[in-house]
Amino acid sequence: MNTWLVSALVFLFTLVPCGIAVFRGTALERLVGLEMAGMVEVMLLILLAESFHRPSTYDLALAMALLTFGVGLVFARFLERWL
Amino acid sequence: MSAGNIAIPVLLGISAITTVVSCVALVLMHDVFNRMHFLAPVTVIAMPALLAAVTIQEGWGQATLKTILVFFVLLAVNAVLTHATARAARVRMLGQWQPNPKEDIPGTPVAAGGGKRPNTQ
Repeated sequence: MNTWLVSALVFLFTLVPCGIAVFRGTALERLVGLEMAGMVEVMLLILLAESFHRPSTYDLALAMALLTFGVGLVFARFLERWL
Repeated sequence: MSAGNIAIPVLLGISAITTVVSCVALVLMHDVFNRMHFLAPVTVIAMPALLAAVTIQEGWGQATLKTILVFFVLLAVNAVLTHATARAARVRMLGQWQPNPKEDIPGTPVAAGGGKRPNTQ
């Protein structure tokens, strides 16, 4: 197990507090938890790509970063007025 | 042991510790505005540390360039999402985004009686 994999494991466990945040509080407090989880997942994918030597997984991290943007913006917009 | 072999675990440790502290602090806060503060360290401290570690490991190549791209995307995403979430929270609380003339916003000068702000120019 190399340093990158250990670091990826730590990042994986940081998703637990994010999950707790998503299940507690008001709708917008939960949204912040979701945004944090998205950012952690992007970094987790980079760490996994580096630890397993799979350069194609970097594209997955980039796609995840862009999807996090879309998800957060859509939720924020709908929570602003309609939900 | 080369400098790179020492620098990579240190940078990954900085990245991991920053993320753990931010995520735990996010759970401990009970207000949307307080929670949003802890999105920033992940983007501003943890991600550059990870980028530096990837750069040391891979050199200037495809992996580093993609990680730089991810870093800049996350930087933009964090700024825009924080603003959008704060705006949504304010609209849900007050029903509008624009400031109320009688609203006392900390750190900004308000005229006595809650009227217009004094002209500082």
